[in-house]
Amino acid sequence: MSAATKLHKTSWCALRQLQQYRTKANFSGSSASLAKRNDLFNQEQRRQRDAVGRIDKIEVRYLGLPEDVTLVMNGNISTPFNCAQHLSEGHCKRSALALIDGSVPWDMHRPLQESCTLQLLNFHVSEPHVVNKAFWRTCSFMLGAALNRAFKPEANLQLHSFPGPNIKSGSFVHDIVLQTQNWEPGKEEMRALSAEMVKLAAQDLRIERLDVQQDLAQEMFKDSKYKSEQLPSISQQTNGRVTLYRLGDHIDISRGPMVASTSFLGKCVISAAHKVAEEGPSGAFYRIQGVALPSGFQLNHVAFGVLEERSKKPSPARLPNEPFEEQQQLQLS
Amino acid sequence: MMRSVINQLLGLRLSGNSSVLVTQVRDKGHLSRPRLRNPQWFLRKEITKYNDLMTAENKQFVNEVGTNNFGVPVVIKDCLVKTAGPTANEAVWTPNLRRCGVIARKIGQYPLWLKNGERIRTTLLQIVDNHVIKYIPPEEYLPAQVPTVANLHKRGCILVGSETTNPALLTKEYAGIFRNSGVLPKKNLARFIVSPEAQLAPGTPLNVNHFRVGDFVDVRGKTVDHGFQGVVKRHGFKGMPASHGVTKTHRRAGNIGGGGEKGRVWPGTKMPGHMGNRWRIIKGLRVWRINTKYNVMWVQGSSVAGPTGGLVYIYDTILPTRKNKEAPPFPTFYGEPQQDGDDVWYEQVHNFKSESITYENE
Repeated sequence: MSAATKLHKTSWCALRQLQQYRTKANFSGSSASLAKRNDLFNQEQRRQRDAVGRIDKIEVRYLGLPEDVTLVMNGNISTPFNCAQHLSEGHCKRSALALIDGSVPWDMHRPLQESCTLQLLNFHVSEPHVVNKAFWRTCSFMLGAALNRAFKPEANLQLHSFPGPNIKSGSFVHDIVLQTQNWEPGKEEMRALSAEMVKLAAQDLRIERLDVQQDLAQEMFKDSKYKSEQLPSISQQTNGRVTLYRLGDHIDISRGPMVASTSFLGKCVISAAHKVAEEGPSGAFYRIQGVALPSGFQLNHVAFGVLEERSKKPSPARLPNEPFEEQQQLQLS
Repeated sequence: MMRSVINQLLGLRLSGNSSVLVTQVRDKGHLSRPRLRNPQWFLRKEITKYNDLMTAENKQFVNEVGTNNFGVPVVIKDCLVKTAGPTANEAVWTPNLRRCGVIARKIGQYPLWLKNGERIRTTLLQIVDNHVIKYIPPEEYLPAQVPTVANLHKRGCILVGSETTNPALLTKEYAGIFRNSGVLPKKNLARFIVSPEAQLAPGTPLNVNHFRVGDFVDVRGKTVDHGFQGVVKRHGFKGMPASHGVTKTHRRAGNIGGGGEKGRVWPGTKMPGHMGNRWRIIKGLRVWRINTKYNVMWVQGSSVAGPTGGLVYIYDTILPTRKNKEAPPFPTFYGEPQQDGDDVWYEQVHNFKSESITYENE
């Protein structure tokens, strides 16, 4: 076998493996609707990229280590991640979130719109509150993806929403609806959920952001009863536009910034599933709670045990079955 | 044949003040099988140390919360609540029953004087913070490495731990051994093969009152590691003269075998090699004195294996003439320590703390 064909074979295998990672999930709910949702997402992404037209150059002033530099980037195309690529591989791998003009948190893979100052945030900065909140929000988002992969089709899982991050409550939260009113997960099931989270982290999936119009969002989530109900009130808050995030094949609605990829998740434990209320004749709302540390932080098992115990307590965040008020921000924080 | 000769010689010696050491490895006639791999159940004990990046107040908080659920377990004598093992009232001692042992540290050696003026050498052994961790009944006890104990299939196993440590410095798996015992994780663990009647509840403290003065104990320790040693130190060979024409041979073994039909070096021939770092049990040591405040016992002799500060494991003796004739604290000592002072002296020992000369007022 010649060297050329050998090389071709290896890269083809790698490509197939990547594709497998992307489509490997066992979906509860129809995979057809999920595929359709992803198609629409891809189309809209391509459409927005093509709609840029004439590329305007912007000046991005990077402030930070190793030195402050000015980068000339493409407006509405270049992302903070692209700026990090100009700096070093370490910057790309370590930066979880970007900070624009010293105050506006920005996703790493979201295109920059105009000239600005840029800071790349990791978890070891002196003021980590913004990036911590983004991490907590990302954990809730990843939990949704993990739940989709973990549950059997018989459970009829429907993701409801996840409330805003409140690190002091001790846990990140995701609310779901199951078609059973007496689900009491044992230790093995909770471990399986934690394992799904860790698998997602190991796959290092990029978290992509997309701003869409309300009608496209309605089209994408028409199969999900709860998301369709939530969309009108969400888009009211933000001039008819809805922010979507994608991780692998999982797409969800959320306002705030997420960290750059799932690889930032370190130690993670899904600790509790509390039944919130009954829904319909045979279903119920459940609140899944967990606690996690960013990768690179080591903690002894006694201290982490204290965090785990704390995270089992029912979270005080707004419950999914409570009526949505106009002033309250559903998933918007 | 060697063994019977030794036993006869020992029978002629004075009893009580002497220790018994039966020759062990060297007259076996073969080498021990080296155990080079850890068994399947082997757990890593300590975590790799790293900088935790916790604030000082968080560390303190975690210490409090982590140790909050543990405390000195209370051993209730007349308990009405069902416990794992029989209460102190129920257990009745018979001579064929085997009690739990303890883990101690050899802390030094000291002389003691008897009332007849005789000076004896004693070794001090301190029982530091021993608690029962687990009891495994005989039906469930299937050790991978079988201990040399008679009637093992009828006997259970008590897991005892000594010297509490901070659980944050240990692996989660090792700390998990202590989860159901009600005590904080221990540095050292040991198993003691016991009769089911002698079982103890997890969390029971073991102290020096488990033994009484005048009892005989067997003490197991790991001998001091001398490393690779020559024949003179290792086997006590005489060597050769330092001068008078002796060439290049002063501490060598000399001849290592004869000729003839079996003209080869016989297995077990004494040669230089690794000396020490072996488990050795010294049997039949009398307990001369006990201090209940510091949990120290003075045992006969200066032959307890190991360096000062090393771990030893203390058992009731198996020697037939020195076994307990009356009931010891069975299954262990539950109760208040004695009121009059901390020291308990064997009757033959001169109590040098008491007044020896008294005068009557005229």
